[in-house]
Amino acid sequence: MFCQTQHYATAPAPERIEVFVNDKSLLVDPGITVLQACAMAGVEIPRFCYHDRLSVAGNCRMCLVEVERSIKPVASCAMPVMKGMKIKTDSPMTRKAREGVMEFLLVNHPLDCPICDQGGECDLQDQSMAFGSDRSRFVDNRFSGKRAVEDKNVGPLVKTIMTRCIHCTRCIRFASEVAGVDDLGTTGRGSDMQVGTYVEKMFKSELSGNVVDLCPVGALTSKPYAFTARPWELRKTDSVDVMDAVGSNIVVNTRSGEVMRILPRMNEDINEEWISDKTRYSYDGLKRQRLTKPMVKDDKGNLTPCTWEEALVEVAQKLTQANGNEVAAVAGGFADAESLVAMKDLLNKFDSEGLYTEEGFPSDGSGTDFRSSYIMNSTIAGIEDADVLLIVGANPRYEAPLVNARIRKGWMHNDLQVGLVGTEVDLSYNYEHLGDTAATLKEIASGKHAFSKVLANAERPMILVGNTILQGHEGAAVHEVVADMSHKLKSSKKVEKDWKVLNVLHRVASQVAALDIGYKPGVNKMTEKPKLLFLLGADAGLVKREDLPKDCFVVYQGHHGDQGAHMADVILPGAAYTEKTATYVNTEGRAQQTRRAVTPPVYARDDWKIIRALSEGSKAQSLKQPLQPSILELKDFYMTDSISRASQTMAKCVNAVQTMK
Amino acid sequence: MAKPLRRLQSNGIQGGQLQSLCRALVCTRPSSTAAAPPPQTKTSFGNMKDEDRIFTNLYGRHDWKLAGALQRGDWYKTKEIILKGQDWIVKETTKSGLRGRGGAGFPTGMKWGFMNKPGDGRPKYLVVNADEGEPGTCKDREIMRHDPHKLIEGCLVAGAGMGARAAYIYIRGEFYNEASNMQLAINEAYREGLIGRNACGSGYDFDVYMHRGAGAYICGEETALIESLEGKQGKPRLKPPFPADVGVFGCPTTVANVETVAVAPTICRRGADWFASFGRPRNTGTKLFNISGHVNHPCTVEEEMSVPLKLLIEKHAGGVIGGWDNLLAVIPGGSSTPLIPKSVCEDVLMDFDALVEAQTGLGTAAVIVMNKQCDIILAIARLIEFYKHESCGQCTPCREGCSWMNTIMYRFVEGKATPDEIDMLWELSKQIEGHTICALGDGAAWPVQGLIRHFRPLLEGRMADFAAKTAGEKLHGSLELQTRVQLVQITK
Amino acid sequence: MATSMINLVHRANLSRLLRPAVRLGQFYSTTSTPTVIDKQEKALEVIDEDGKEVIDTTTGVPDWLVKERKARIFIPARNAMQSGSFNTRNWHLEFDTAERWENPLMGWGSNADPLSNLCLTFSSKEAAVDYAEKHGWNYEIDEKTEVKMKAKSYGANFSWNKKTRVSTK
Repeated sequence: MFCQTQHYATAPAPERIEVFVNDKSLLVDPGITVLQACAMAGVEIPRFCYHDRLSVAGNCRMCLVEVERSIKPVASCAMPVMKGMKIKTDSPMTRKAREGVMEFLLVNHPLDCPICDQGGECDLQDQSMAFGSDRSRFVDNRFSGKRAVEDKNVGPLVKTIMTRCIHCTRCIRFASEVAGVDDLGTTGRGSDMQVGTYVEKMFKSELSGNVVDLCPVGALTSKPYAFTARPWELRKTDSVDVMDAVGSNIVVNTRSGEVMRILPRMNEDINEEWISDKTRYSYDGLKRQRLTKPMVKDDKGNLTPCTWEEALVEVAQKLTQANGNEVAAVAGGFADAESLVAMKDLLNKFDSEGLYTEEGFPSDGSGTDFRSSYIMNSTIAGIEDADVLLIVGANPRYEAPLVNARIRKGWMHNDLQVGLVGTEVDLSYNYEHLGDTAATLKEIASGKHAFSKVLANAERPMILVGNTILQGHEGAAVHEVVADMSHKLKSSKKVEKDWKVLNVLHRVASQVAALDIGYKPGVNKMTEKPKLLFLLGADAGLVKREDLPKDCFVVYQGHHGDQGAHMADVILPGAAYTEKTATYVNTEGRAQQTRRAVTPPVYARDDWKIIRALSEGSKAQSLKQPLQPSILELKDFYMTDSISRASQTMAKCVNAVQTMK
Repeated sequence: MAKPLRRLQSNGIQGGQLQSLCRALVCTRPSSTAAAPPPQTKTSFGNMKDEDRIFTNLYGRHDWKLAGALQRGDWYKTKEIILKGQDWIVKETTKSGLRGRGGAGFPTGMKWGFMNKPGDGRPKYLVVNADEGEPGTCKDREIMRHDPHKLIEGCLVAGAGMGARAAYIYIRGEFYNEASNMQLAINEAYREGLIGRNACGSGYDFDVYMHRGAGAYICGEETALIESLEGKQGKPRLKPPFPADVGVFGCPTTVANVETVAVAPTICRRGADWFASFGRPRNTGTKLFNISGHVNHPCTVEEEMSVPLKLLIEKHAGGVIGGWDNLLAVIPGGSSTPLIPKSVCEDVLMDFDALVEAQTGLGTAAVIVMNKQCDIILAIARLIEFYKHESCGQCTPCREGCSWMNTIMYRFVEGKATPDEIDMLWELSKQIEGHTICALGDGAAWPVQGLIRHFRPLLEGRMADFAAKTAGEKLHGSLELQTRVQLVQITK
Repeated sequence: MATSMINLVHRANLSRLLRPAVRLGQFYSTTSTPTVIDKQEKALEVIDEDGKEVIDTTTGVPDWLVKERKARIFIPARNAMQSGSFNTRNWHLEFDTAERWENPLMGWGSNADPLSNLCLTFSSKEAAVDYAEKHGWNYEIDEKTEVKMKAKSYGANFSWNKKTRVSTK
């Protein structure tokens, strides 16, 4: 006899139905739309308002197709497939419908393509070429002109030229569905309808830049990028973002050695097709305050430019003079895995194990011995499967905007229940605020709290701990409580065997790789009294000159003249993430590569090569501290690291948030 | 807003059935409209007898409150009607051949029948469309201000027929007095236990709510009305899902016109056969006609369906100003139906099928009469301006098309155009028609189509006059033409 | 190391892998010069032991241009600015970006590396791999990412009990 074990909720696969796309038979799942069925058949339906990741609006009418036995064309984006439906995407009726809609769209759309930033990558342009009429019948501009709409000021990132708007409402839907801010909407009706904020205000979202991508015309364009380049003259390099620990996939657009803009690249598992504003707009920081030449402190104590040889020899000498326990290195948030390894090799060669990261992590108990204790185990995409999420001391909205977008997605589509222990912040979705301190956490763990029951009843619970609060003196205690709780939940019968509960949300791109490689988390753990200290892009200001021995020789290697460089004796100019092919491991433990889009400026070099060249020559139990994440408000989100601090765009954003209410 | 007729060509599909067409699309269209109608035996229509009138206080000469309503026979044996059950009410309505009075003319019984699918626990709602905004139409307001209890009783009967939990009466914002009369009547009915918990003692719980609109014609479209009722901008939804599936507050809903609902109790009381004895088969019943425009006595009158248009105008409206021969054209069913010229008006019958054959539609049966002193191009241009103003702006063809047609039409009024633009306008109207989310686009396209169909020589003549005035040359929308226009205006 | 986790590095054949040159130190070397041994060994290598054609000996491309670099075989991502997907249907083969500079004379982009301007399009992954192997290039493959199709429902906008209900228009 067979004994079948039933896993949870295995609904029988729905019976597939047959439809015909241009007489080609196709088996599809019921419930999908005609447009999706056509996509499966390899037929692309023109569209403006429809977007895969937004709700269906059905208002642009561009996707009209003929369906047999229907006397008028149907909007394929909204029409569900029916059994035996015969869809004709290239019939005279379909073509006429498209041409008609296109003609109407162009009636009030200004013909300013030559000065429009969308020109060359404009859906309206493309689709009017493919589906529109070959000539215009619109002569009324001789009599009455086209519609003109006042531009709106929605902040320093998104430029609006509202006359170009075709009212597809993608931006509105993005704002209210994905970003979770109902800032945009329509006012007026008929041909007076306008998309805007009603009163002049900033589009206050950390994801606002995505509306630039979504806009099928040039109504919403990028303010910093305005009039700087044309899409066809840009070189596109697939890369990975390092502004947070999410590792969003990006495409770096460059022109003759300069980063012109950064666009998202689709990755279902990480960022879908969104990126945060910091990822998108802080690239101008890559051109300012750069360390371009090696520098050594002269007799007067001033840093003066020198040759690579001089700088390397200087450091190598110190290195050979120092004892193993007098050498240490601190890695910052932008350090890539290759240079981390090279640095480790270098220090090990001189008998030193003094490798630290700026970001802390509790090292009590098993510390970072097990990878699962410091990464986001259930993955970002896994948030969509979860049914209960407990956020501990994190503000994912600003620490990892795309993780937050995922949580919002789960909350919206899968009824994910969210609880938060920590400072109450606006996360763009509703959650239950359980308490401010870890004492609440303990209560939940002990089963006394009302939320314990919710967690216990969950089939796929998740606990997300912000790394900010793990650094404090209570960090170890919090981690212990959370780890215990996760372990208990995981072993409960309700929870599937390979479901992971514990998740750590890191803030910086280098951290997981550094911990993987064996760096000790946190400069406070430094036991050495270093005579020689390497700062590998350590810019967070946690290492202070006054904490170091007087005779300590500080070598700063990095790309920006930020806090680390100010205290250095020698500066070795490195490459930023757009300038090197390097590996970063994101908070999920997913290794990804950035690719070189431009070459490092002047004498700056790949970090691992610099280190390689160098080596050629040489517990608190009080639980009263509020679990406060590092970023609480939007104004703090824009400038968190050396690149974004150097970015003028980000500075404008901070200013805008403070002044535009 | 009236739901205008969907399709003018009679190719087997009955005109004016928005839903039926949509359902045809999803292959679930029931076959009743396709079924052979009973043979026609009656040959003359009109001259209805007073005892057959349903709306006996149409002119407000009697008391509109409950006491007066009871005298006129409202609320008589309502309990018994409800107790006969859902199926009986729907069957009786189906048998009566009642078709929706809001303009689309969808068979009412069938529509109510859609609500009787096995439920999933969601409450069902009846929404009464009292957003009467169609230019020329003023039938619902007469019911609401002079016979509100007919509507309230109708809500109860129709609600019982579809198993609805409550009725929402969405009334046009401008109808302030009508709304207040309705509300007083509702209060009376609640007080007397006619509606509310255990309505009329039938054991059936039924509430009636009033909701005042804010002055948008588009909110008369059923899905826009639902949106507006939910507190959002009144922008129509796509179908499917049909309101009977996902309607107001996400629950199954039927949206019905005031007149449709108001006649239901009388049909149930006097019998479907009585109602079906009026008018031609498939176009049965009595109907409120509004006659306005160039007639001696504009009026609202209840007449038999299929009444000849000429009889309607001559008998009830005192004839056309300047005599029948002074008639130029008639818009037979509210502003969104195409006009018909005098030649057609001579013998056309006022019902759904006859008017579809005449390439127009019954719509809301609001007859707008235009005599020869009227500038018909200006009249149609003004209608298009109305549609341009009332377009919600959601979907492209209507938003852009209406304003474009508007500018072209006003140029036509002056003649500032070339004859080939008439064809272009025709094509534009065809590009709007059938490509929009709701029927407003169609309603905007049809008046233009009617004008071009019947008055093309007039349009061309005016263009020729204008060309003659401006130095006799024909120029196609050029700058030169424009400057010439300005010159003419200056010299004037 | 993490690099090996994302991308499988294929080598054209074993004999090349065992070739001395710079293989193991590749990661850390800054410059390289073609070795004599290298040249001698592949003088007659037109068909390798698997019977595949290799033409890198005959193309005359200098070793330092290709041997230390990796070609990337991938499907380009859809441009986020546009909805069309036509450009995402073919496999591309590209080299990494080498030194580029702005030409002081005209301000145009200049570089000294023809390969980084190379963009080859193939109808299948196998064709791209074959081509790379034939030329003796190192390569890595970025597998195609499948887009999950989620059933879309217009009715969800009006649902009474879901958060997908639309409130802003």
